Amino acid sequence: MPTINVNGADIEVDEDGFIVDPDSWNEDVAKYFAAQEGIKELNDDHWKMINYLRDYYKQFQIAPMIRKLCKETGMSLKYVYELFPSGPAKGACKLAGLPKPTGCV
Amino acid sequence: MGLSLGKNGQYNPDKPTEDRITDIGPRHFWQYFPPAIQKNYGKWDHHEILEPGILVHVSETGDKVFTVRCGGCRFMTVENVREICDIADKYCNGFVRFTTRNNIEFIVDSPEKLEALKNDLLSRKHVSGSYKFPIGGTGAGVTNIVHTQGYIHCHTPATDASSMVKSVMDSLFDYFTGMTLPAQVRVSMACCLNMCGAVHCSDIALLGYHRKPPVIDHEYIDALCELPLVIAACPVGAISPAKTESGKKTVKIKEERCMFCGNCYTMCQAVPLSDKLGDGVTILAGGKLSNRISEPKFSKVVVPWLPNNFPRFPEVVEHVKKIIEAYAANANKYERIGDWAERIGWEKFFEKCGLPFTEHLIDDYRLAYDTFRTSTQFKYTEAAWAVSKSVGGID
Repeated sequence: MPTINVNGADIEVDEDGFIVDPDSWNEDVAKYFAAQEGIKELNDDHWKMINYLRDYYKQFQIAPMIRKLCKETGMSLKYVYELFPSGPAKGACKLAGLPKPTGCV
Repeated sequence: MGLSLGKNGQYNPDKPTEDRITDIGPRHFWQYFPPAIQKNYGKWDHHEILEPGILVHVSETGDKVFTVRCGGCRFMTVENVREICDIADKYCNGFVRFTTRNNIEFIVDSPEKLEALKNDLLSRKHVSGSYKFPIGGTGAGVTNIVHTQGYIHCHTPATDASSMVKSVMDSLFDYFTGMTLPAQVRVSMACCLNMCGAVHCSDIALLGYHRKPPVIDHEYIDALCELPLVIAACPVGAISPAKTESGKKTVKIKEERCMFCGNCYTMCQAVPLSDKLGDGVTILAGGKLSNRISEPKFSKVVVPWLPNNFPRFPEVVEHVKKIIEAYAANANKYERIGDWAERIGWEKFFEKCGLPFTEHLIDDYRLAYDTFRTSTQFKYTEAAWAVSKSVGGID
């Protein structure tokens, strides 16, 4: 599998650019992905979303439903798309280092 | 050819949201209607099938439009689509439409144009000899096969779609260009039991099927997959959480419970189950969608498994032909395959079609009880006598 180089550390990613091992995530990885997604700077709301996703994943080992995510963070889906132009799954989950969404996507 | 430089210029990867157009939806269908269709919209009086593949619709205003339906292979190159456009330009003022079964329909307004169009369509062949635009697919025949991606593009198939559809349509070609059956026969194909398309509600359905449980990649599963999703994906509860010897999180599968649906692989790429010898094709029959005479029906499994015999699938073709021929010889006019099977009884359906009945066909999933026979009403068949004799019953 290909790797990306973030601040000197090699991190394994799949062909869609999702990191393979959630444990290899750090804040620099999120910033690296943000640049690719066309996000200029990660603001507080970005981090709130990323941290929420990571905490939820740590607790339940799955990504939260969109409804749950909007309710808990208080952000509307429209605002989530403003923060992460590629959406909650391909954008936010990728930045948060969660596994790639599966199923008939 | 260069990149598109339309009014918003070239896509700029540094500013992905700049000049971005979204949520504009599909084009309105009205702008692609031939003038005759626009003029008579909502005013059609009646229609006739002039001959297989050719329809005429007559409007209250007296206008007539002639439709020529030809088979489409669904997977098409741009070159193929351009040829369709050329034909449409030549005869139909640039208008053409596709049907819900992926046939192509050319609409003309005069019998002279119709004749010229027909001759042109039938003269076009691929270099290898097959018709590019065979005319047919109307009335009581076999029209196009609704099918899926198969090995061309999907990651969960148990068989291939396009090649099987080609083989089956080759053998049913006379039914496509003729209207000789008691009612229309809808054949569908799906390459796994996600059943994308119409296999669960078709007269004859071909379905890719696995026969071996998934192989678990314990090394990567926790990193790649959301384990609770994998566990919840199983319809029979065969998957449970587990730990590897090195303490990594993984899942375990009770193989005797697994029925090889592949749903866990849809959710998690670390449990692949495709297998060269295990995978094959199941045939279902007797489904329908319309409400004509009888209500819509699900199709039922009639052949549990046939091998994936690439590239021509002779076993599958043979079984499909067997069912259609038995149906054509025995059913009443207007009876769909499901109507016929229910009228004569499924035990007679198996006898007429020459299909063996095995334990695989007996439903054993949750609501199975309703599918058993809770009645003494049945007909003796050769197969029933054979069972009776084998246990020393009545001669």
